[in-house]
Amino acid sequence: MYHIEEADVIIIGAGPAGAMAAIKAYKQNPNLRIVILDKSKIETSGAAGRGMDALNTIAIPPASQPEDIVEHLTYVTEGVLDQKVAYLYGQMGMEVVKDLEEIMEREPGDLFPLDEDGNYQLYYLHPVDKALMIPMHGEEMKRAMAKAVRKTGAVVYDRTPAVKLIKENGKIAGVVGFNIRTGEYRYIKTKAVCLTAGCAGRIAMPSSGYLAGTYEFPGNSGDGYALAYEAGAELVNMECFQISVKIADHMGPGCAYVASPRGAKTTNRLGETMGSHPYASGDSRLRVWKNYAEGKGPLYLQMDHLSEEMIQIIEKCQFGNERTSRGTFHKNRGQDYRNKNAVEFIFAEDIGACGGHSSCGINSDINGASNIPGLYVAGDVDGGLPHSYLGGAIGMGSHIGKEAAKFAHENEQQEVKAVKSFMRNFIDEFEAPLRRDKGIPPHMVEFKARQRLQRYIVPPKNPDYLDLAVWWMNRIRQEDLPEVKAKDFHDLYKVHEIKSILLVGEMMSRASLFRTESRWGLQHWRVDIPEKKDEWEGHWVVIRKDGENMGMEKRAVPRAEWNFTNQMDYKYPELSFDVGKPFKRKADVKNPAEDKWMAEHYKKEGMATPKRFMD
Amino acid sequence: MQIACGNICPEEEAYSNLELNEDRCNKCGKCVDICPMDVLRFNHKGYPFMRYLDDCWYCDSCVFMCPRQAIKMDTLPYLIR
Repeated sequence: MYHIEEADVIIIGAGPAGAMAAIKAYKQNPNLRIVILDKSKIETSGAAGRGMDALNTIAIPPASQPEDIVEHLTYVTEGVLDQKVAYLYGQMGMEVVKDLEEIMEREPGDLFPLDEDGNYQLYYLHPVDKALMIPMHGEEMKRAMAKAVRKTGAVVYDRTPAVKLIKENGKIAGVVGFNIRTGEYRYIKTKAVCLTAGCAGRIAMPSSGYLAGTYEFPGNSGDGYALAYEAGAELVNMECFQISVKIADHMGPGCAYVASPRGAKTTNRLGETMGSHPYASGDSRLRVWKNYAEGKGPLYLQMDHLSEEMIQIIEKCQFGNERTSRGTFHKNRGQDYRNKNAVEFIFAEDIGACGGHSSCGINSDINGASNIPGLYVAGDVDGGLPHSYLGGAIGMGSHIGKEAAKFAHENEQQEVKAVKSFMRNFIDEFEAPLRRDKGIPPHMVEFKARQRLQRYIVPPKNPDYLDLAVWWMNRIRQEDLPEVKAKDFHDLYKVHEIKSILLVGEMMSRASLFRTESRWGLQHWRVDIPEKKDEWEGHWVVIRKDGENMGMEKRAVPRAEWNFTNQMDYKYPELSFDVGKPFKRKADVKNPAEDKWMAEHYKKEGMATPKRFMD
Repeated sequence: MQIACGNICPEEEAYSNLELNEDRCNKCGKCVDICPMDVLRFNHKGYPFMRYLDDCWYCDSCVFMCPRQAIKMDTLPYLIR
């Protein structure tokens, strides 16, 4: 069953970026019909559904200026950046903070800290000498945003992820949504789409084996990347992986941005500190890798040297915000921040693709526009503004809301053709796993795909392994997906998510093969080419669907306007270990060249199991 | 809002890391409504249960959104515990 509807702007995914896009599109033009499609419930959906404890990268005068954002992003992207977009975001800092205070009805000094002069208090965290992080006491952020969204009168379809972008004449013309509880479809014509569907956080595997134990919200399975790719949008930096330090077994981040600015340390088992800034860029990741490679793991979170007051502050942030089950987890394990080596970290599992934490995403320009007219992107799915975290999602989400509203006002709805036959064919194919009498359960297929990705794509990258990852993605797509059995609509949508995982896994592998150099520290370290190459300076790997193939292109980023350092400080090590001399026979002995005895058996029995086996 | 179907799902009687106090729960369904991973459904008696147990991100939204404090999450999913 499907409904046909009309909209002016559709928001796909109402996390912070999508919620802000809806709010700002409405403010820009209250007469627009805005429709929101969300996989979850907008009050709790997405990576920030349980609140957030900081805006990790933001410039707020007088502590920091827009240029400081450009400097930081130029450094951590090693110049593979459109600096104009970075500068634009740099200018948004105060607006982001004020918008949040207004939406959450919180006073300055309450939601965000102020210094003695009444200015916003920012912290040093990043690998530049600028204060670019502001703590936030924002447990209720997502519910406040949802309230503001619902107040606009926008039509909100919860539990209804987008499953297809419709294009006509090369432009956005509509979106198909699917309700994962009722099985209803919605074919919604639209002039513009804000694609804010989050990152690809369910790509490789947590070592716990628990599929939903991901660093990122597991609902973010890369569907936004897949939707855009299938529609012909360009993606960039898919080889610049997100690599996280996590609390071992828990899905919680390694606390570097909460605990470290407040004095906590990360040490190895010898008590040595990392010797690096705590920011999650490729250089610091390489130093973490080194500790494990040298047998100095595990790494521990150390707070036993802090005052009781500071430990309580950190506990309040950690247990009351973002990943709130941290408190229960630690309690169950008898872990106490007051003890030495209290919390074990784990590293380089559950590798993913994320614009907000790294650089992977849909390519967008200074207006957040993709190469498809009418399609705008922001947040973790956006590759146009790397490393921008929640602040970037809110700032650029707001920006694309206004841009999409403007586009919808200035452009006509593209005429859609043959909706009936399109939907009949689409539903027929989409629901095939429901119609099978029996088959492979979706979670098994997902386990296999993600286990293969964990095995083959984790840096340091090896070209043969990357080829194997591509081979496995295709094999699972061709051989396993036609055999998968969904028992209900919830399960059916999982099959759709697995298709996204396979596609994003393939993009990450192919882009890693295409970029014939190493860059961004551990994020793209190729063991066969362990150095940066001049010809790749300032170049993206652009992915775009080319018929049935995944097209790849090397493309120069827009010319740099600020002359900031674009080389991080690290060195790729030699992967050659002296393990002594191998065993060498002293006597001149050898085995027979032929095996007449076994040849006789083979001649007599072939490959059949001998009958004596059953006697 | 979906209501109790009367049939007993096998998952109703399986292991669960959520503990429901049936004396407190008034079957309002808020937890089923807000679960971001769509884990919860109503059981044959109309109480919430973890129908899709392995999808839980243990975000504990169900716990703190429950107006009657009827849900407890004192433990986490087995594999990550």
